[in-house]
Amino acid sequence: MKKILLPIFLIIVAISFFGCKKWDTIHSNVYTYLPPPASPISDAAPLSGNIKGTMLSGKTYILGADVYVLPTDTLIIQPGVTVYATNQAGIIVEGTFISLGTQANPNWLTVQGIIKISTPGIAPASDPAYAGTWKGILATASCKLMVIKWTHIEFTGAAYGPTVAAAVGLTATNNYSVIFQNYNGCFIMEDSWFYGSTNDCVHIYSGKIDIMRNTFEKAGPSDGDCINVAGGTVGTMAYNMFIGTASNGQRVANKNIPVGAPQTNIVMYNSTFVNGGFLQIQVGHGGSVSFEQGAKGMYYNNAVVNCKYGYRVGVNPTPDTANLKYGNNYQYADSLSVANQFYPVGYLAKPQPTDIPAPSTYLPANYTLGATYNGAPVIQQNNPLFVNYPLPVTGGIPLDGIRYIGNFNFHLQAQSPLIGKGNTTIQPLVVVPIDKVYGATEITPPGKDLGCYQVDGTGNQH
Amino acid sequence: MLRILSFRRYYLFLFLLSGFYSTSFAQIIKGKIFDAGTGEPLTGATVKIYQGDFKASTPAKLDGSYAFKGLHAGTYKIKANFVGYLDSKEYELTVKNTTGDLTLNILLQNSSSQLNEVTITGQAGKQTDRSARSLEQSSNSVENILSQNTIQLLPDVTVGDALQRVSGVTIQRSNTGEGRYAIIRGMDQRYNTTLVNGIQIPSPDDKYRFVPMDIFPSELLERLEVIKTLTPSMEGDAIGGTMNLVMKSAPDHFLLNVNAAAGYSFLFSDRPFSAFGHSGINDKSPAEMYGNDYTATYKDFTTSNLNYHNLSAPVNSQYGLTIGDRFLNNKLGVILSASYQNFYRGSNSDYLVPNPQPVSNGTTGNLPFFSDALSRQYSTQTSLTGINNKIDYVFNSKNKISLYNFYLHQDEYQTRITADTILGIQSAGGVKQVNEEYRSETTKQSIYNGTLKGEHQLTNALHLTWTGVYSIAKRDVPDMATYTVENDLHLNSAGAVTKIDSSALSMDRRWQHNSDKDLTGYLDLIYNTHIANHDVEFSFGGLYRHKTRTEYDNDYSLQPSPIGVIQPFTTIDNAQFGFLNTNAGMGSINTISLNDYTATENINSEYLQFKFNLLEKLQVLGGLRAENTWDNYNTTAGITVNERSGTISYLDILPSLHFKYELSDDQNLRLSYYEAISRPGFGDLVPTNQPGEYFNLEGNPNLKPTTADNYDFRYELFPGGADQFLLGAFYKDLQNPIEYFTANTVGATQVIQPQNTNQAINYGLEALFTKYFGSFGFSANYTYTHSSVTTSKRYYNADGTASTVQQTRPLQGQADNVGNISFLYKNTKIGLDIQLAYVYTGERIAQVSPYYDLDYWDRPNGQLDFSFEKTIFKHFSFYGKVNNLTNAANSVFLKYPYQDLEQKLSAQDVKNETQVEKDLYKISFLGGLRYKF
Repeated sequence: MKKILLPIFLIIVAISFFGCKKWDTIHSNVYTYLPPPASPISDAAPLSGNIKGTMLSGKTYILGADVYVLPTDTLIIQPGVTVYATNQAGIIVEGTFISLGTQANPNWLTVQGIIKISTPGIAPASDPAYAGTWKGILATASCKLMVIKWTHIEFTGAAYGPTVAAAVGLTATNNYSVIFQNYNGCFIMEDSWFYGSTNDCVHIYSGKIDIMRNTFEKAGPSDGDCINVAGGTVGTMAYNMFIGTASNGQRVANKNIPVGAPQTNIVMYNSTFVNGGFLQIQVGHGGSVSFEQGAKGMYYNNAVVNCKYGYRVGVNPTPDTANLKYGNNYQYADSLSVANQFYPVGYLAKPQPTDIPAPSTYLPANYTLGATYNGAPVIQQNNPLFVNYPLPVTGGIPLDGIRYIGNFNFHLQAQSPLIGKGNTTIQPLVVVPIDKVYGATEITPPGKDLGCYQVDGTGNQH
Repeated sequence: MLRILSFRRYYLFLFLLSGFYSTSFAQIIKGKIFDAGTGEPLTGATVKIYQGDFKASTPAKLDGSYAFKGLHAGTYKIKANFVGYLDSKEYELTVKNTTGDLTLNILLQNSSSQLNEVTITGQAGKQTDRSARSLEQSSNSVENILSQNTIQLLPDVTVGDALQRVSGVTIQRSNTGEGRYAIIRGMDQRYNTTLVNGIQIPSPDDKYRFVPMDIFPSELLERLEVIKTLTPSMEGDAIGGTMNLVMKSAPDHFLLNVNAAAGYSFLFSDRPFSAFGHSGINDKSPAEMYGNDYTATYKDFTTSNLNYHNLSAPVNSQYGLTIGDRFLNNKLGVILSASYQNFYRGSNSDYLVPNPQPVSNGTTGNLPFFSDALSRQYSTQTSLTGINNKIDYVFNSKNKISLYNFYLHQDEYQTRITADTILGIQSAGGVKQVNEEYRSETTKQSIYNGTLKGEHQLTNALHLTWTGVYSIAKRDVPDMATYTVENDLHLNSAGAVTKIDSSALSMDRRWQHNSDKDLTGYLDLIYNTHIANHDVEFSFGGLYRHKTRTEYDNDYSLQPSPIGVIQPFTTIDNAQFGFLNTNAGMGSINTISLNDYTATENINSEYLQFKFNLLEKLQVLGGLRAENTWDNYNTTAGITVNERSGTISYLDILPSLHFKYELSDDQNLRLSYYEAISRPGFGDLVPTNQPGEYFNLEGNPNLKPTTADNYDFRYELFPGGADQFLLGAFYKDLQNPIEYFTANTVGATQVIQPQNTNQAINYGLEALFTKYFGSFGFSANYTYTHSSVTTSKRYYNADGTASTVQQTRPLQGQADNVGNISFLYKNTKIGLDIQLAYVYTGERIAQVSPYYDLDYWDRPNGQLDFSFEKTIFKHFSFYGKVNNLTNAANSVFLKYPYQDLEQKLSAQDVKNETQVEKDLYKISFLGGLRYKF
């Protein structure tokens, strides 16, 4: 009997194991060989040309000109490193890039001596955040892994110029701050800060991604999304905080899909979008979340406050609407023009009963998708009760005037209507390895409070 | 033989129809007037008849014929004379009541034939159709020729347009409708070359080797030859064919020809011509003026070229002058001809811009989709100056030297106004976005060629020709300025516009210039000998060419300033633009970029050619040509950039063999084989990255030259006069043809790149028929072409992924059916010439799509043109040309039923197709005076 019991026991264990971990089957922990870190990089002289190895904790490095990490090389930045860029330099990554900041010792990739301006309503032309002082971190198609943890990336957006453009396969006037372009590769950005850019902060042409618990301030002076992904990008965006974005916070399309890449499929949940979309000068673009052209995925548990356009499901061409799910999304408007675009006019976002405010309280009974409606009943309703951010915005500050976090605090007060409204049954789409160095440290599952800050202390840690 | 017999039956049938063939009751003297040397009918020669007090005269008709009718019985004296010919002797004929028609053919002696025998054969009457026919007949290769007389009467003012009248040639039009490039027998312009007086000339084009043919005024031409097979003595880079522009050469006697004309395009009766100021344009970019480190500001740019004014009913004008003579006992010949044209042309066009990637509806993939609907108005002023000069000096009957210069300069000022309806934004009940884009483009192009040539008969058997050539072609596009205004149209529920918000959106300034300079030397020797009872002509020689090319391209992108503030738009002078940052102020090249290069090409080629009659009637010509190419390009991109410089060299051995069998004096059979190459242009080779209409275009230094095996068969009949009948077939097998592909990089943006495909074939049939009946003439040609190439394309799957599939299609630009029909009337008595010409081009690919089955096709197109010339006084004539009588539109479509599209599109009429472009040019005319001495 014992001989029979043991296999039965093992089968039961196996069945329950597989049953419980049903969604594990979509994990892909593809082993990527990485050569061991090379010798430490010297901080004695400004860096230029090809570099590889390790930037050591506590040291300060200067980028004197563009630096290149060659295809078989790796650049590892240990916790507590400061890198100052000069001469409009950039980091061009043909190999592997890993920045391992920690909560206690974050890394800084910035420019020395620029003072951040936290003045409401300042014109972008007078704000050094938009000056494009260095290029950023640019992966070529041969880069298989880019990991950015607890890292400040500031004042990026210099145009690539012909040499770098040729190296990364783009044009000289291109000025995206962080790019990734390999659908077989992994892009991980966790717990990091992005401050200032001249166009898109993170532009993924294709790749497996995990972008979680980051804060984006002052993205783009007239155009530019915080995270913009194109054809062949798969993964999760969650717990991100966006404020004062020129265009969209999270934009997703299946544009220009490379042969062999999967359809763009992005799961979004628990992000907060404040004051987005107003610097975008073209009508009909920008604000918060935008699903476009052939992309599939989902967006749940997000909070949008005073953004020019609400959650947008695009038209001409449409996203893969049959495979696009959404709900439990919150919106707040100070003014009628914003309330009138909670469901952007002319587009296809379908009101969900779980949305806040409830569509039934203000949309007409015969509402059709994309139709105009009167948003007056929901103006200044359901104040999200942030810890320190007065709503409605007073003092004559325009809607797009506050593009920084500064002393504000977007965590939730105990009475916030956002608390407990989240859908926790959805699953993240995990396609990157989980690893302290070579992957994501933590995949935070969907939270029960809307937006990126959870009252239980999980979510965005900033 | 069957073909010939049936042809003759047809010929007879037409003859009968014409009514020319009439029997009579006698009392008629008729005949034809010919050149004694060439046998060419002398149209316009005067024939006089006398009998006592009775006097009459008549001019010879188109076919050289004359007739005096209703003559009484008696003895008549007949004499003929013609300008440039010695008067004939006096003939005597006796008419009797009982006899039938009397026929008298008269041969006139060319007054300068002494000289002509010293100079190149075929000099006499070289501007006539008849001489064109005899050149075609005696040529070593398969050719079609338009004579000066034909060209002069054509409705076309540039060579670009005149080319469409040649059998087997279709033209690619510019955006205002003029013929610009020639496609010969379905082979794209990249496979064809342009020669001037047999010398290859460089192109002012910014990317390619082929020359824009609308830069040549047709007035400067003595004849236009389209050569379709290559002999070893000709340069080997013409797979499709070679266009040889033979410019006017020094006449045998004093010549003065002046013409002036004015005209108008009816396009500008519906809307004004929009012109911009030319004076304030900076020839150099800020970076060229102040150095590449200079950070430009908005103050560095003028708005004078972005302010538009309307011209109502602008008048087109054309002036021509040719003057020539012989001096020093006829040893020195000089000709100078000049042409000036100033034309206002335009078009109204509607386009649908394809989304860069098709869409899927969940069940069906690869569905066409459009991102923008454009409505464009072009207003183009083209002023074209051409000067042609030739001096020849004949030392003696054995030595001759000639110096030849031509200079062409074209200034084009083009205004493009576009209304761009953004289809990506839903208009229902909301806001509709219609952007207005204004673009002012100045293009200055020029070609100069100087050729010094000597011909020496060294011994009776050995003939030497040497040629030294300097040519330079330039193109300069200073400050191509564009600005865009966003108009947000607020619509009410009924779709009516309630409010328009206009705001400045963007501005772009671009400076581009390139030059292409050739230094070439040719040496050719002809040796006549006798081997085994056969006269054999050996030719050998070669050429060396050193080409240098430069390219500069700098682009400045400006944004409304201050940045991030919506700027209401009133006028361009009030608008404020600026740069995003200092880096952007340096333009697209803050150091010298890949788009800024110099290139060198050295070609040396040598050939050996033999020609002999294997049988009495069978001429064999063949030999080998070796072409050595060495290309080098240099950009000064950083050392880490792959492909920043390169050297490519290749050697091609090109054999050819041509048989010509004389069935009879007026019939030939030809059979030819030759191998040819096509070198990639530097724009294709240098890895520049240039913005294109939908995708960026990137060069490919790994391109190989295309080679082709070409087979030709042709039957020719030259029954006399300008009449002819040609029937031919061709087959071309291309290796490494160059086609454009979406470069399949792992990620990043898609770019279009020229790449070699394995193989393409192209074959077809050609027929040409010309017949004159007294005062009437009829000419028709028809070409059937079939080509096929297989390339890989993308397919956007229903599940949102993309895959690669193979698609077989015709070569871009190749139409299956191409034809011309023209009717001529020529009455020399009243001095009237009339021509009605119709050209038809069948369906062809206008633009190859990177996606499967989504190529853009040109709809079949027919255009009817009319022209005439009437003598009003002695030496004076009035002439006119009317183009596009039926207002034929150029229309482009997608082979996909518009009714199945998800988008609702306007202006769709043809079922199962989607019209994506329509260009209207309207009727235009030109009328003027010509003075001939």
